[in-house]
Amino acid sequence: MDVEAAAAPPKKPPVLFAQKPNFRPLSAHEISDGQIQFRKISVPPHRYTPLKKAWLEIYTPIYDEMKIDIRMNLKARRVELKTRRDTPDVSNLQKCADFVHAFMLGFDVIDAVALLRMDELYVESFEIKDVKTLKGEHLSRAIGRLSGKGGKTKFAIENSTRTRIVIADSKIHMLGSFANIKVARDSLCSLILGSPAAKVYSKLRAVTARLAERF
Amino acid sequence: MASSANGGGNPSGLEALHRLASTEPALYLTQSPELSKSARIASESLFAFLNDYVPKHVLSRLSTEGFDAEQIWQQIDLQTQPLLSSLRRQVRNFEKNPSEIGKQFNLDRDGVKEDNLRVDGKNKETDSIESESEDFDDDDDDVDEDEEEDEEDEEEEGGEDDDENDEGENVKGVEDKFLKIKELEDYLVEDEEREYGVKKEKGNKRKSGKIADEDGEDKNEEGDEDEDYELGLMGLGDDGSDMENARYDDFFTSQKKTSQKKKPKYDDESDGMDMDEPENDDSDQTKQSLSTHEKELEKLRAEIEEMERANLEPKTWTMQGEVSAAKRPKNSALEVDMDFDQNVRPPPVTTVEDTASLEELIMKRITEGQFDDVQRAPTLLNKAPKERKEMDENKSKKGLAELYEDEYAQKTGLVSTALSFSDEQKKEASMLFKTLCLKLDALSHFHFCPKPVIEDMSVQANVPALAMEEVAPLAVSDAAMLAPEEVFSGKGDIKEETELTKADRKRRRAKKKRQFKAESVKRMAVKTQLSTLKKHENVAGNGES
Repeated sequence: MDVEAAAAPPKKPPVLFAQKPNFRPLSAHEISDGQIQFRKISVPPHRYTPLKKAWLEIYTPIYDEMKIDIRMNLKARRVELKTRRDTPDVSNLQKCADFVHAFMLGFDVIDAVALLRMDELYVESFEIKDVKTLKGEHLSRAIGRLSGKGGKTKFAIENSTRTRIVIADSKIHMLGSFANIKVARDSLCSLILGSPAAKVYSKLRAVTARLAERF
Repeated sequence: MASSANGGGNPSGLEALHRLASTEPALYLTQSPELSKSARIASESLFAFLNDYVPKHVLSRLSTEGFDAEQIWQQIDLQTQPLLSSLRRQVRNFEKNPSEIGKQFNLDRDGVKEDNLRVDGKNKETDSIESESEDFDDDDDDVDEDEEEDEEDEEEEGGEDDDENDEGENVKGVEDKFLKIKELEDYLVEDEEREYGVKKEKGNKRKSGKIADEDGEDKNEEGDEDEDYELGLMGLGDDGSDMENARYDDFFTSQKKTSQKKKPKYDDESDGMDMDEPENDDSDQTKQSLSTHEKELEKLRAEIEEMERANLEPKTWTMQGEVSAAKRPKNSALEVDMDFDQNVRPPPVTTVEDTASLEELIMKRITEGQFDDVQRAPTLLNKAPKERKEMDENKSKKGLAELYEDEYAQKTGLVSTALSFSDEQKKEASMLFKTLCLKLDALSHFHFCPKPVIEDMSVQANVPALAMEEVAPLAVSDAAMLAPEEVFSGKGDIKEETELTKADRKRRRAKKKRQFKAESVKRMAVKTQLSTLKKHENVAGNGES
């Protein structure tokens, strides 16, 4: 600063150091050095029609809120995601990919949307044969035990642990927070191993009460 | 007692005795059948001799053939035991009545010595018999003792034999200028006198003779022992009457009877002696002439004596405090009338009336059903009952995201606390109940019943808007809510069927006819129009074709 300029407003103190540069925060696009990133999620055949039906519900939050480009590659039977220049966060792309992937696994859109909105939700999968080697009728019975009559056992577990469960033949997928997934997994494993539903319920009740008490 | 010569009537026995006496002491140690035989003969002769003096004959003669020492000794013992006791009794008698001794034996002073000797001899015989019988069998265990005794007695014998020969002769070797046996004797006698306070010349003489005999030996110790023994046997001569034979009479009887009472002055008994003396004197002297007072005193005294005696005796078992069954005689508790309190109430006696009343009560209770059952006391809860979440087995209507959304909203407080599942159920239940109540009230009565407060704002289309503000009874039907002209809007005079007059009926019929006619004309017109149209079409159609 010149001395004259300094003399005119006598309040301003003489600045000795250079002014700190004031940068605005980087956008997601700039963080990744201007590169556009892609995600491709293949669509299994049994989810093709549900995808078509729920396409708009999937598209809207991704495009509008997450600011991620999404398109369906019909020929390759894939859903492709791409970042834009104005994508607010780097993690958005991954969240969207997880969301679409969850849908492909079999979860409902309204359940899978939670993935977009919350950070700490995870999807865990395991197979029945990981728990116990079952073949033929035993396997069928195990699956039946897991679901219960009209799915009531599954719903009971879902409601008490605040998770969502998808039973696809031998594969079991769970969506929820870490602790809740653990509880659901334990109850499912005990069901696979053969314990009756009532026992599982009682254990569930105790555990969920404890979980609820913590808050 | 007949005085018979020593060994009279049995010369062989005497011979045997002499032979025994003459043998060397050392020879006794060896086993010689000759000595044994002579000893047996001697024993037999002595036994026979002494048998005359025995008050009660047990054995007629001593049988030694084929018997061993023990058996012979037992036979001798049978004789000597009563003999000795009788002798002792006689000696005591002589002590008391010394004059009798002279009478007995008809002897003067010399005779006394003979008596002395005879008595000694008897003693000696018994001793020697003992010693010989014991000595001759080597299978005795305590040979040494017997030997000692034998030697003693033998020397006694020897001493006495010497004495027989010459009395009062100085024994060789013991006496000299300094030590005189006689002086020693005198001193001892004096000492005894002093101690026991008795002076008896004869006894002294006898004793002195005894002492001389014994002190003549080299073995003073044994002499002393024998002295004691002899003294003991004799009963201290006459001196012993005070010590050993002290009797009640000596102390507690009147002075006239015995002169010895005062002499033994012992401190213990002096008091008693003094006390009892006057009493005894009184009782003895004044027995005949007792005054009434004295008689009473006598009675009292007797009573006192009796009571004292009773006190001294042990008490009866009833007075002894805690007495167990072992301490009292058998069945004694039955004889005594015991008095004790029992704190236990006697058991109740059941009568017929009691049981009847009891049964009546029981039956009454049963009919009433009043059993007085114990009811569990209701436990008060410390804290509110835990709210349990019901397990919902239906698919949740909300999505996962919405669930978390609600939870978040609740946490941050944007939304009022959501009702829990139980609260919702409660609400539903209460709503149902209110509607039910409403219906029931409507059926039961017109009045009353304010409308239930319905919080939701749904519009009820069926009821007109005005009805909301109307205060009308709820039971009134919908139809009544409307105004009559709204229900029926009719013009003119409205008459019932029955009220119609003939003219009215005619008029109504005419009206109906007119209406019908008008209609029929209209219909006809329409028909003709239609038909003409069709005709035209047909014609046209026909024309074209």
